Amino acid sequence: MPVPASTFLLLSAVLFTLGAIGFMVRRNPLVVFMCIELMLNAVNLAFAAMSRYLNSLDGVVFAFLVITVAAAEVVVGIAIIVQVYRAGRQMDVDELDLMKE
Amino acid sequence: MVVGFAIVAAWELVTAVGVVAFRKPMYNALSLVANMLGLAVLFLMLNAQFLFAAQIIVYAGAVMVLFVFIIALMNPEADISFIPRGTEWIYGVVFGVIFAALLGALLFNRGLTGRPGAFTPEVIAATGNVQTIGILLYTRFLFPVEVTSVLLLIAAVGAVYLAMRRIR
Repeated sequence: MPVPASTFLLLSAVLFTLGAIGFMVRRNPLVVFMCIELMLNAVNLAFAAMSRYLNSLDGVVFAFLVITVAAAEVVVGIAIIVQVYRAGRQMDVDELDLMKE
Repeated sequence: MVVGFAIVAAWELVTAVGVVAFRKPMYNALSLVANMLGLAVLFLMLNAQFLFAAQIIVYAGAVMVLFVFIIALMNPEADISFIPRGTEWIYGVVFGVIFAALLGALLFNRGLTGRPGAFTPEVIAATGNVQTIGILLYTRFLFPVEVTSVLLLIAAVGAVYLAMRRIR
């Protein structure tokens, strides 16, 4: 295996950081969700890399579970976003203060 | 192998920046699709064929179709918010840089330790990748799988409930 494990982990760290920056910088809730997906993907990459280099399948199994949880999270999150949008609110996470009222 | 990895890694970085930086949500979604396909290729390089298939079917297939449909349905006109009103976004960037530095310091100062497991590529190849993972899922990881199935059920019920009611 010519590519060392730390290279995969470094790529994963950079992808996670990009997702985290996007999560804080962007204000469209859909794009914020996409940045969350980016972070989850980066974690999956780290899982897969470690399970490959440690000859273990635990990481692959947990990456699979993470994919499942991410799918469930997207379904509920998008349902909430659509509800908020239907209620005529702005598509801006800074303006969303429904819970305060 | 190294050249392939370099190409895919560059692809991943470019598309990830696209997810964060494009202004139109549809472009964000499409570059996220590209990012996930590149990640599937990385999984293939890591000998995780099962994850490769799951990534393409669940993420690039189901999740991103949902995103694209919702964007097309709601048509949120140009999200101009990448250049924000205040200066809050600086905090985001500063956090990102500090966070990346911390991760890098962890990676380079601590060796990658861990007890190697029993699943060498030869062992996996003997029974097949998907078969091995399937057996693991239903024996050793039975409890997490069951918990995840309950979670999926709750998510489905919650989505249906949210779709039925209206917020005033």
